[in-house]
Amino acid sequence: MLRLWPLRQALTTTGSLRLAPTCLTNKKSTAAQPAPQLVEVYVNDKQVFVEPGTTVLQACAAAGVEIPRFCYHERLAVAGNCRMCLVEVENQLHPVLMPVMKGMRVKTDSPMTKKAREGVMEFLLMNHPLDCPICDQGGECDLQDQSMAFGSDRSRFTDMDFSGKRAVEDKNVGPLIKTIMTRCIHCTRCIRFASEVAGVDDLGTTGRGNEMQVGTYVEKMFKSELSGNIIDLCPVGALTSKPYAFSARPWETRKIESVDVMDALGSNIVVSMRTNEVMRILPRMNEAINEEWISDKTRFAYDGLKRQRITTPFVKNEKGELVATDWENAFFTINNKLKGIDGDQIAAVAGGLVDAEALTALKDLMNRLGSENLCTEEVFPMDGTGTDLRVNYLMNSTIQGVEEADVLLLVGTNPRYEAPVLNARIRKSWIHNELKVGLVGSPVDLTYTYSHLGDTAQVLEELLSGCHPFSEVIGSAKKPMIVVGSSALQKEDGSALLKAAVSLANRLQATTRVEKSWKVLNVLHRVASQVAALDLGYKAGVSRILKNKPQVLYLLGADEGRVKRDDLRPDTFVIYQGHHGDQGALMADVILPGSAYTEKDATYVNTEGRAQLTRQAVTPPGMARNDWKIIRALSEFIKGTSTPRPLIPPQRFLKDFYMTDAISRASPTMAKCVQAASAAETC
Amino acid sequence: MPFYRTDELKTGTLVGEDDYGNKYYQNPMYFMGRSRWVEYSPAVGMDYDGSQVPPEWHRWLSYMSDEPPTVAKLVKYPWMQKHTENLSGTPQAYVPYSTVPAKIQAWTPPPKKR
Repeated sequence: MLRLWPLRQALTTTGSLRLAPTCLTNKKSTAAQPAPQLVEVYVNDKQVFVEPGTTVLQACAAAGVEIPRFCYHERLAVAGNCRMCLVEVENQLHPVLMPVMKGMRVKTDSPMTKKAREGVMEFLLMNHPLDCPICDQGGECDLQDQSMAFGSDRSRFTDMDFSGKRAVEDKNVGPLIKTIMTRCIHCTRCIRFASEVAGVDDLGTTGRGNEMQVGTYVEKMFKSELSGNIIDLCPVGALTSKPYAFSARPWETRKIESVDVMDALGSNIVVSMRTNEVMRILPRMNEAINEEWISDKTRFAYDGLKRQRITTPFVKNEKGELVATDWENAFFTINNKLKGIDGDQIAAVAGGLVDAEALTALKDLMNRLGSENLCTEEVFPMDGTGTDLRVNYLMNSTIQGVEEADVLLLVGTNPRYEAPVLNARIRKSWIHNELKVGLVGSPVDLTYTYSHLGDTAQVLEELLSGCHPFSEVIGSAKKPMIVVGSSALQKEDGSALLKAAVSLANRLQATTRVEKSWKVLNVLHRVASQVAALDLGYKAGVSRILKNKPQVLYLLGADEGRVKRDDLRPDTFVIYQGHHGDQGALMADVILPGSAYTEKDATYVNTEGRAQLTRQAVTPPGMARNDWKIIRALSEFIKGTSTPRPLIPPQRFLKDFYMTDAISRASPTMAKCVQAASAAETC
Repeated sequence: MPFYRTDELKTGTLVGEDDYGNKYYQNPMYFMGRSRWVEYSPAVGMDYDGSQVPPEWHRWLSYMSDEPPTVAKLVKYPWMQKHTENLSGTPQAYVPYSTVPAKIQAWTPPPKKR
């Protein structure tokens, strides 16, 4: 068995080459070095100046010439095995992935180059099935496009009857990725992605030459939370999406640029829609958040948007059964219930997928009804300054900041599953910037090495006092990062943990080594709505509701079961607004159908405090409506019904008149007057 | 009423009347193609339509036969349906139902536990 490009080897031999594209964008690494001497290169007799060490491909890109390629990908190591990128240099053919040399004369459209490319393409197509009409990659296939642009107009392949085309057995790599390995052109992008970005060395090649096969050696699942990205990376249809198989063509779908809500990162996505149905979800490039990767939950969970949907309002009848009804009836029921109920007896809980608009609308409605009992399902320590200051609950040094950091301390979090794209970023920094990672909490597989400091929050105290071995490492860091997982803060000792993390962060912040603009403390949230909710003044956690036991409870997409029916008094009237029939809907007396994130234009704020907009791809199903519009319409119903209270002046009777301030309260005469006046009133 | 409908004065002999109250006229003085015509039943008002002519009169009206159905009676079988006009655009119009599964599976509340 042959494993291609072990990571270490790739790092040592092609490290400088591979780092080149990141170096151009990474301010830190270029700023430190003196401005390098530029190298003069001629591309099709056009003069360009590039930095030494860049590849011919980048020089060509600088000259505005695009080179056909299959194996090369900007975010992966250079392989140089598809042979498509040949160019003519000094009457010889060279792959463009070699570094530039001074005075190099590159010809990208000479007859020699063209002939070479046609030859390579012919070889590739000889071993590639001509099944474009039934291939899911059809229409977005690099091989299709480049054979049109650079291939020959006819084939010399005639060996249909003797040995036929090469055929490779399909591999089963799990429920997400469909493999048709006959289509594979051995670009090895998937292998490089798995070992470099995903950090899972599951994929590799066996055999050589015509017998070479890409696979998992023995049949097993490709166990990665980022596995779906190899579908996008595959330049042909060898790796395609299993749930999406044979369901749509790229030219039939409309692409809507949106934002993901499956985790708190807010990865940028493209929603492909056809006939009012979400067909698939693809990543959208955003260097600051997800680069061009998304997690498998983001990519494949969209079929959940078509099941268990609440499509009509429901109202509970006398028998206690939920009956489908219309909007007017549901609003009337709520309105009747709210009549004469004190504002303190009304409370609201916001769930994890709620957008900022709905949160605002609900808060306005609740405040008008005289209620301040607004909270989120997700707990966050509220003592001390709590959520008054925004820095207390944000990922302050940003997701991109991970690439600049030199020491990272993870506290009670498993970023691999809580924020897979962030974990890929940490891994990238671990590879290229030698990021040192420490973990406090139960040991988990993070795809990179880390020093496990301990299981309990005690370690933070030790780090603070300096008696822990790791405190030297973090103490000497120029850009340390402490990432506290929000799940760790939900335990009883959450506030103590946060306090310890804050004081450690403040200690590090105070050292002269750390720049003033660099923020040490970071909180990694798990749900998409939390930061927006805290920004808008929601209280974190439902403890107040469990204590107060309100008469009316408004659940806005709260499905995690933090408030249960048994926790409330038996006659509590529960209103649930949301898009899926889950735990929240089961305990409700009235259900209002809301819309999911692909069905509304809505704002979400991610864990670093970045407000982003989702765009409506499809219409909400049935009678469901945009969430803030539901609350606004409901507020119109409730408008006239809040019981007006009489304006009672504080001094109504004679006895109220005498004692109003410190002096008059101290006066015995006035006390006698009060006594006399009260006696006179009662008799 | 007929004049308001057609903007045309024509004289001819009444050949017959169908079950729906439409009257059929003929005047061979006119050119073929204009020599047979129908005056729709006053009951339909201005909602007259070509499909209100039953098939036996339609064949006479469009010169498929020389004799009107009053003279040359057509064979009437018991399985023949009664003529109806085209119902498109009315509430009785035929709408095909969808045979594909629904794109969204709606949630139904589970039955209450006893």
